[in-house]
Amino acid sequence: MKGFTPLVLGIFATLAFSWLGLAYIPDLQIGHLDPQSDEEGTDIYPMPKSGMAERGRRIYVANGCFYCHSEQLRADYAAADIDRVRDAALSPPPKWGDRRSAPRDYIFDRPALLGKMRMGPDLANIGKAAPAEEEAAPPQPSPANPANPPAPGASPAAANASPPPANAAAQQNAKPAAQPSTPPAPGASPAAANASPPPANAAAQQNAKPAPQPPNPPAAAASPAQAAAAPSPAASPSESPVPYSAAWHHQHLYAPRSLNLDSDMPAYKFLYEKRRVGGEQSADAINLRGEGAPGEGWEIVPTYDAKCLVAYLMSLNQSHPLNEVRSAVPPAASPAAAKPAAK
Amino acid sequence: MNPTEIPLKSPSSVTDLSIGDVEQVERALIDASTRVPVLMFYASAVVWLLLGTLLAAFTSFKLHSPDLLSNVAVMTWGRIRPAHLNVMLYGWASNVGMGTAIWLMARLCRTTLRHPLLLVTGGGFWNLGVLLGICGILMGDSTGYQWLEFPSYAAWTLFVGYSLIASWAVLMFRFRRGDPIYITQWYLLAAFLWFPWMYLAAQTMLFVVPVQGVLQAAVNWWYANNLLFLWFGSLALGTAYYMIPKVIGRPVYSYHLAAIGFWTYAFFASWTGMQRLVDGPFPAWMITASIAAMILCIIPVATVGLNHHMTMRGYFPLMRYSPTLRFTVFGAMSYTAFSVLGVVMSLRSFARYLQFSEVSVAYSHLGLYAFFSMIMFGAMYYIVPRLVGREWRFASLIKIHFWASVYGIGLMTLMLLAGGMVQGMNMDNPSLPFTESTQSVLPYLRGRSLSGILMTVAHFVFAYHFLLMLLGLGRTASVPTFLNPVNPDPEDVIAH
Repeated sequence: MKGFTPLVLGIFATLAFSWLGLAYIPDLQIGHLDPQSDEEGTDIYPMPKSGMAERGRRIYVANGCFYCHSEQLRADYAAADIDRVRDAALSPPPKWGDRRSAPRDYIFDRPALLGKMRMGPDLANIGKAAPAEEEAAPPQPSPANPANPPAPGASPAAANASPPPANAAAQQNAKPAAQPSTPPAPGASPAAANASPPPANAAAQQNAKPAPQPPNPPAAAASPAQAAAAPSPAASPSESPVPYSAAWHHQHLYAPRSLNLDSDMPAYKFLYEKRRVGGEQSADAINLRGEGAPGEGWEIVPTYDAKCLVAYLMSLNQSHPLNEVRSAVPPAASPAAAKPAAK
Repeated sequence: MNPTEIPLKSPSSVTDLSIGDVEQVERALIDASTRVPVLMFYASAVVWLLLGTLLAAFTSFKLHSPDLLSNVAVMTWGRIRPAHLNVMLYGWASNVGMGTAIWLMARLCRTTLRHPLLLVTGGGFWNLGVLLGICGILMGDSTGYQWLEFPSYAAWTLFVGYSLIASWAVLMFRFRRGDPIYITQWYLLAAFLWFPWMYLAAQTMLFVVPVQGVLQAAVNWWYANNLLFLWFGSLALGTAYYMIPKVIGRPVYSYHLAAIGFWTYAFFASWTGMQRLVDGPFPAWMITASIAAMILCIIPVATVGLNHHMTMRGYFPLMRYSPTLRFTVFGAMSYTAFSVLGVVMSLRSFARYLQFSEVSVAYSHLGLYAFFSMIMFGAMYYIVPRLVGREWRFASLIKIHFWASVYGIGLMTLMLLAGGMVQGMNMDNPSLPFTESTQSVLPYLRGRSLSGILMTVAHFVFAYHFLLMLLGLGRTASVPTFLNPVNPDPEDVIAH
């Protein structure tokens, strides 16, 4: 090697070249994307997340959720991501997503948590898997009525989907009455009606909203905040919460294996608070039966951090069609638009 | 070849016959001048290594036993894992790499170490930065960028420390004697100049003036991969280029080959990184460019491998005796394995299955442990005796360290590769429930925990041995500690 100067210049130039190619030029290409909208300037996607969801992102990052959960779906030619269903026992089974992820999906994300590992399922569309209208959770028998007869017949389907919690207290109506297998969101499946007949009790008037439109409204900012702020009325001791509802997320975060025996997720009990029931049980208390149940006179309620985290999870939704990406189920948007990220 | 026929000399005296006593004294003076700063870097590196090992074992166990101590926020898996990673990257690997680089710089520039205070202060800031960063991560202050989890206060402390160290390195270069710059110096100088470049670029583009959306991930992996290749890789390759010829007492096989290897490495390795995001939401050309660069990296890998091999040819039996050579050659060979795995897993047809599996963990460990750390262990076995004026106390401990490390990293790589493939195959089969993929990898993860126990043993044995050296409890002998008796009269040579 001749001399010091050419060496230093070469060292500098090689990395500068790579920075130019892999950081600077991509920034020119996709670094300044705007949200898309239709001709009238409405139907804007994506939208910034609510303050609660943004705080939830911090909780998500602080506890390293992104080390096990990706938030990106690969194209159909590259992998089977968009063929995968989240829970085969639900009808219709929520998919991981209908289309691949694109740069525009992330323009408001900081940090953009694409993820590098899937020890847990992809979460790019976890918010979309929530019941169509969060408030429209099924009428639950009130806790005062534990003698609610379990609906027979649907349990085999429930068994393979998400195994019932391994609680010793099977004598109480722990056999989830078709709960995991049928999403009771009205409008999603009429079959839900016969599986768990909604008794006309106190809880029933809360979900008077029929919620006819199955797809989630794309306004990502609005729904999660209210979803977390007002989770569905406390599920009865005999029922698991509606899959992917706020109450479900809370129970899943608090005790993952109470909902899915095969889950490898650590519990995040430190995001929850165990306290004495003062008067009536809190609306957002987790209803846990069997092992891990708080015991008589106690309840487990989410902290504000937990509510933010769930708000963040429920805000994750890339289901809105993008002009530049072909969706598996072609929506109204032009299906054959150019894909910038195509191979 | 009968190994005892090889003219086995103590490494430091290999060239004595041609150089003479003056240089011998000069070298001793240089070594003495590097004593305090290098030992400081080494000692802090070993402390971080032990901490990182414990965190690693904890991470590994929690992955298949998720309820283990999960009720405390500080102990949750998602905080322990980045703590482990960052302790290893910035605590262990960077410290030991810088310590080795400082010693090599002083030796190769043939000048006594000037401004030791600069180094000691820099090292202090660096370690303070790591400590702050780890506490920050455990308290939930992580930034969310992999390999860059340190919160800003820790990151800037780290950088202040680094600037002091790097300015020393450049100063050192100005005082060098003799103009032919040896290969090792290219790599070390490059590492010292590349690191601030990439660190500042990443910090700026992620935190100061953040780029939009997915580009954060691109900058993140550009940094992470360059840290792996251009910082750790350069430090390790530079060290190997010094240790192998030095120990066997034979010049490097080809200087031209080395030059080709260096520049192609600088050029191609710096373009990798995006292959970690295969088929992600990016323009495909970025990823393809990195895959191409990854494939082209075979050129520097082949040239460096060939060069080392030709240098070693006929001298491989020396690995039976010299701990330094044994560790260094193992590391140099792992470099090839690491690069080949990197190419394979970046190809789109493989990435389809391997992208989100444990294979990428195997890849990182192959690079940072089997390649980098093993070469650094080798360097420490060479350098520490020259700093403390004692020889390593027990050959048996060195052997335990070596074999536990080798079997540990070997088992870990096998487990993660096999498990990752099973996991990836199941993940890409949409007719299986997702939990099938995580359940199927669990047995392999238990096997990985087993390998972690082996490596924990290795590191504690090494740390104990190193502590003995620091305390001046090494052997006072004129002959280095060989792993096996060299001459028929064992009492003179073996450790005990």
